[in-house]
Amino acid sequence: MKKKLALLLALVMIIALAVPVTASADATEISLWTYPIGKWGDEATIKTFTDAFEAETGIKVKVELLAYGGDGDNKINAAIAAGQAPDMVMEGPERLAVQWGLQGHMVDLSDMLDATDLEEINPSTLAAFTIADGTLTGYPLCMNAHCMAINVDAFKRAGADQYVDLETRTWTTEGFIEAVKALNAAGNDTVAAVFCNGQGGDQGTRALVNNLYSGLFIDEARTGYQWNSEENVKALQTLYDLDGVNFDASIAGGDEMKLFRQGILNMAFCWNISGHKNTDDGNEVGKTLTGDEVAFMNFPTDDGNVALCGGIWGFGIFDNGDADRIEASKQFIKYVCDSDKTAEAVVASSFFPARTAAEGNDLTGIFADDEDMNVYNATIMPNLGDYYTITNGFADVRTLWWNMLQEIGAGADIAEATANYTAQADATLG
Amino acid sequence: MSPELRRRETISGYLFLLPSLVFFLGFVVIPMVMCIITSFTDATMNSNQPDVFIGLANYKELWQDPIFLKALRNTIIIVVVSVPVVCIFSLWVASAIFNMKEGPLSFFRVVFYLPVVTGSVAVTVVWKWMYSNYTGIINYVLKNGGIIDKNINWLGDPKYALACIIIILLTTSVGQPIVLYVSALGNVDNSLVEAAEVDGANNTQVFWKIKWAQIMPTTLYILVITTINSFQCFALIQLLTSGGPNHATDTIMYYIYYTAFTRFRFGYGNAMGVVLAIFIAILSAVQFRLAKEK
Repeated sequence: MKKKLALLLALVMIIALAVPVTASADATEISLWTYPIGKWGDEATIKTFTDAFEAETGIKVKVELLAYGGDGDNKINAAIAAGQAPDMVMEGPERLAVQWGLQGHMVDLSDMLDATDLEEINPSTLAAFTIADGTLTGYPLCMNAHCMAINVDAFKRAGADQYVDLETRTWTTEGFIEAVKALNAAGNDTVAAVFCNGQGGDQGTRALVNNLYSGLFIDEARTGYQWNSEENVKALQTLYDLDGVNFDASIAGGDEMKLFRQGILNMAFCWNISGHKNTDDGNEVGKTLTGDEVAFMNFPTDDGNVALCGGIWGFGIFDNGDADRIEASKQFIKYVCDSDKTAEAVVASSFFPARTAAEGNDLTGIFADDEDMNVYNATIMPNLGDYYTITNGFADVRTLWWNMLQEIGAGADIAEATANYTAQADATLG
Repeated sequence: MSPELRRRETISGYLFLLPSLVFFLGFVVIPMVMCIITSFTDATMNSNQPDVFIGLANYKELWQDPIFLKALRNTIIIVVVSVPVVCIFSLWVASAIFNMKEGPLSFFRVVFYLPVVTGSVAVTVVWKWMYSNYTGIINYVLKNGGIIDKNINWLGDPKYALACIIIILLTTSVGQPIVLYVSALGNVDNSLVEAAEVDGANNTQVFWKIKWAQIMPTTLYILVITTINSFQCFALIQLLTSGGPNHATDTIMYYIYYTAFTRFRFGYGNAMGVVLAIFIAILSAVQFRLAKEK
């Protein structure tokens, strides 16, 4: 009897192992994986949209939150490799178009756009999501320009506030250098950090270097990277020589933002309106933990022409070969990006709408009562520069950029290092 | 036992083995074989791009890849430093505490074993804070003690970063060897020790001639697992430095991960995995041979 029972148990274990775990093939349940784009990285916020969508359509949306900095990408790439990609993903063209789009994993969403949509949606956002064969890999929801931030009170205490124009949120390269010197002389050893632990927030270091002496990251025709140009080498040398500015390979953009919010750094090169409004560290909006006032700023330039790196975010659909699920996913995207829910969805992202109106609802005034958003919209957004992050091979180029900064921070000859890494970056252009 | 009964016993035996065998095949043997096969291809795991057989090209590229060579050098430094330090330090601690009373012995075992059972992420976060260039306690103590006048960027400076990683690795690696040595020293045949002492042997002679020989199997086990763990140092690097600054803390394990999951060159990454496995196998064989000769 005992032996029979043991045999039965063993068989049950084997059968349990043999039963394949399969995802539901039911189109009434679709999956959405999302990176932390404002409150679109917050489960409770996303649930308000998915619950409302389910109530309206009967389609349940199962959400999984992803992290930037490798883990999220690993999850998606592993899922793609295993043939278990989610139905939808929320991200920018850097991944949707340049990575998964070019690999042929994304559904073409161009049939979701009618003439009205094409009038309403910012054309540069659609261009960013469109790959060479014409596939629209993502449907844009929101956009932003990345900037930097300063600790206004620390500047005032050091007498460095004379170098910034808080009306226009602009300053000159010379003013930036003088401000660093003043802050350093006032006893701040760590005024700012050229962070380079990884690619997180690297748009900040790219914009800083390129703006200081009007350099470019890549030429406008996207045929060659410009890291070793005279302007960029001069900018890197200036930063390297400045006491108080560290090339810090131990932190990435997120760490830098935390250190800035803690009042330890006086400037943050990784900033945007979402970061400005973030209170996760226990700070008030627009303040450091020490209560100092924070101001978002354009990057300093020598000629007054600021070119900021941008961010565009939207939804893409993975081509899992199931027409019903693709159709259900399109319904959800339409519900979020082009309906009376869109204003709410954009506000949740903490960024600016990628279109002027959605199904007759004006989106231009959705932040009317929010002074920070209005000031940001007036002073930072107009300086959005070339959206070069959709250049083919950009994922490899990002890695080269922070590796180059690490090498320079370790004391390498700047001209040699930039020449070497520019050649490697150019090789990714094919 | 009748043949029928023996047959039924055999079948039920295999059935009991089957669940773990399925796991072993599915998660060890098959991936291992696939790893070796794909190391001869340009696999990217992109389903739209078929893998092309490229022979030994990945293996040839390894020896011309400066980052791989740097990662190999760093890995060897970690192994060469951490294996002897872990073995000597744990033997020293174990010798000092193994004949203590139960209370103090348990206390020391807990103290040294705690980092082993603490989650590696938690350990790493604490060390990251301790090493911080801005708020770290190490800089705070050294600066206030007048030893340094300016904060040192421990993890951001290539001069210090690898040493910092090795220090953390040591703290998390000594727990298990200490517990094993305490147990092994407690099992040394006391009659031999007493006989040697009666014959006039001093403490050093007793240790090397009697105890060392009897704890040799434990030493061999510790040598092998510490060597393998040191070769496989990954989580610390991933969580603390991402291989930087300027590849100063890249290890083979981290570079495999980076190559496969960031650059999507699975074939090339697997070639590194095969080379790493060969290194570990050779070193383990040498250690076994040396211990056997002893």
